[in-house]
Amino acid sequence: MTDTERHTKLLYWAGVALGPLAWGINLQGIYTLAHFSCESTRFSGAIMSAVLAGIALAGTAISARAVRRGAGAEWSDAHGGGPRTFMAWLGVGSGVLFALVIADQLAASLLISPCLR
Amino acid sequence: MSMVAEQRELRDDSLNGLQLSTRMDSIWRTPSGFSGALMSVDHKVVGRRYIVTAFAFLLLGGILAVLMRVQLAKPESTFLSADKYNQIFTMHGSTMMFLFAVPVMEAFAVYLVPLMVGTRNIAFPRLNAFSYWMFLFGGCFLWLSFALNVGPDVGWFAYVPLSSLQYTPTKRPDVWAQMITFTEVAALAVSVEIVVTVFKQRAPGMTLDRIPLFVWAMLVTSFLVMFAMPSIMVASTSLILDRLVNTRFYDSSSGGHPLLWQHLFWFFGHPEVYIIFIPGTGMVSAILATFARRPVVGYPVVILSLIATGFLSFGLWVHHMFVTGLPQLGAGLFTASSMLIAVPSGLQIFCWLATLWDGRPVYRTPLLFVIGFILIFVMGGLSGVMVASVPIDTQVHDTYFVVAHFHYVLIGGAVFPLIGAVYYWFPKISGRMLSERLGRWNFWLAFVGFNVAFFPMHILGLIGMPRRVYTYTADMDWAHLNLLSSGGALIFALSFALLLVNVIQSLRSGTLAGDNPWDASTLEWATSSPPPPQNFDRIPVVKHRDPLWFDTESMPVVAGLSVERREVLLTSLAEAEPQVREASPEPSIWPLLTAIATTVFFIGSIFTPWAVLWGTPPMAVALIGWFWPAGHKEDEE
Repeated sequence: MTDTERHTKLLYWAGVALGPLAWGINLQGIYTLAHFSCESTRFSGAIMSAVLAGIALAGTAISARAVRRGAGAEWSDAHGGGPRTFMAWLGVGSGVLFALVIADQLAASLLISPCLR
Repeated sequence: MSMVAEQRELRDDSLNGLQLSTRMDSIWRTPSGFSGALMSVDHKVVGRRYIVTAFAFLLLGGILAVLMRVQLAKPESTFLSADKYNQIFTMHGSTMMFLFAVPVMEAFAVYLVPLMVGTRNIAFPRLNAFSYWMFLFGGCFLWLSFALNVGPDVGWFAYVPLSSLQYTPTKRPDVWAQMITFTEVAALAVSVEIVVTVFKQRAPGMTLDRIPLFVWAMLVTSFLVMFAMPSIMVASTSLILDRLVNTRFYDSSSGGHPLLWQHLFWFFGHPEVYIIFIPGTGMVSAILATFARRPVVGYPVVILSLIATGFLSFGLWVHHMFVTGLPQLGAGLFTASSMLIAVPSGLQIFCWLATLWDGRPVYRTPLLFVIGFILIFVMGGLSGVMVASVPIDTQVHDTYFVVAHFHYVLIGGAVFPLIGAVYYWFPKISGRMLSERLGRWNFWLAFVGFNVAFFPMHILGLIGMPRRVYTYTADMDWAHLNLLSSGGALIFALSFALLLVNVIQSLRSGTLAGDNPWDASTLEWATSSPPPPQNFDRIPVVKHRDPLWFDTESMPVVAGLSVERREVLLTSLAEAEPQVREASPEPSIWPLLTAIATTVFFIGSIFTPWAVLWGTPPMAVALIGWFWPAGHKEDEE
């Protein structure tokens, strides 16, 4: 297997990896930033959420690109037998779903003051 | 070439039919007699034991539930004392969560996953046997303690400071904490086995997108167990250390913090809900596909939902702690996650409904339980979205509303699919059908009884009845709803008695099932009922997501595995391409001896820290015995 082929294969998993990772960082990150947000920039949490939602969606885009390149030839729905394209589809869904969760948390960080105890 | 070498060359492609079956049977069969039973490493034998033991604990936990409902049926009842009631609700919760719900799901996986992925035994079969013994000993330890009036009385979550030495100077919390260690060791062991079995022992051709949905569900669940359970083991061990050697993890006067306990507990406790629920969804998918006579709609969507639910379940734990005074922004984040987890669950529900809509449903008992699951779980999900909101949760926290909610989610989400699964897979496990007539009675009694028992609890909670009270005064106006609830509980209990009668009757004189009585599509139905010790004479080759519906004439198989020793075929992770033949361990007494040594270590260490010292050598000896090369065929290269 060439490096390019290996690289292409890895990209199938991007959405599955980046979505949950971005959400995990968001959950912990806003907590970590809460003290700082209260004292100085109130929107630091919201900015971080926006960036991380973008990362989750980037995972979707990368997986979608992999689907476009590899689908059809490898995977037919009822039979199965194309695990990489299948995982790429999961990546597309996963990126969108976790971007949605992050967006919901972004809304929370816009609505609730980080100083509120 | 020597005779021995020639013998080792004998493969299954040299034998056929009865000759092959007889040969494989003799290699894989568990030795007969009492000692043979203690040595078994067959996943089907261990799985059956797990299932029966978990249902025995369900029976015990259920009896406790009935006792509680009898006590609460009328105001100021003296049927149970406050102390006994505290022990009973703690034992009920602990038994149901740790000794029934999680183990029974893993038990089904231990039995079914190797069959469904087309292999001959689970990965690490001796570890599997060890895990069962640990589960059994841990459960017996808890129940013997209860019988000796040392049953835990601090709730199934054992919050500190109540469970600290200062407020509970008896051994009761130690019993609870160490039971956790037993059962979590068992659960972790099974999870490792499931993950390795699914990743490395799938039949050739069973690519990632051909894995049955139940197996996917168990794979996700196993990862949840591996990441969630260490948290509760750390918590329970540190609680024992606090109580035994004053480590003060949870003592705020010495720099510890009681909230640390809640974080550790609920970091495990919330994924625990999904550890119980996700296998239930796998069962639902398996049953639905068979009885709707078509594959589940949206296979990738269902798997995406399982994976997303698995991840999200780790970001919800703080919603159990909304009233502890955490920063409001943090509470808001966890509210968001808690509400959003309804999205993947909802996606699955829509996929299942679409499957029913587009299929040609045959309403047999397993499908009735699945429909009951959908109705009850949706209601539980709706009250879940309610309590995910901080203002509502603050109002109903620690009331019967929450009791109603989690019983709707757990019984609806796990027990209904489980009973459906019993009706569905009983023919495979026992070779006999359960009575359809009793099954329908079973379902309707369970469905009506459950709703009569638990729906009134929503109202009781909203009008202010707190959880964990052993009685209440007549002027509280809770009596009628409590009486109704208790009546429903008795009907619900009756449904389980009917299930037991059905099982016993079927085992004695049930109709013979045949290999595939439901015309199902997955590989466990490709072998006899009950399956032979080797599961399959030859390993099947999978070319379709629903192999038995696709390969209707004869299923392609792999040939070339040894008929001289226990051997499984390892395949690649994504494409399931054959990689290597691997020896599978033979029966051994050492898993049992190791479990006995570990039990002595665990129980001793709640009484004296010296048990760690004198308890270790027997464990070391047992482990050395376990792994010592004994010259068996499994040790040959």
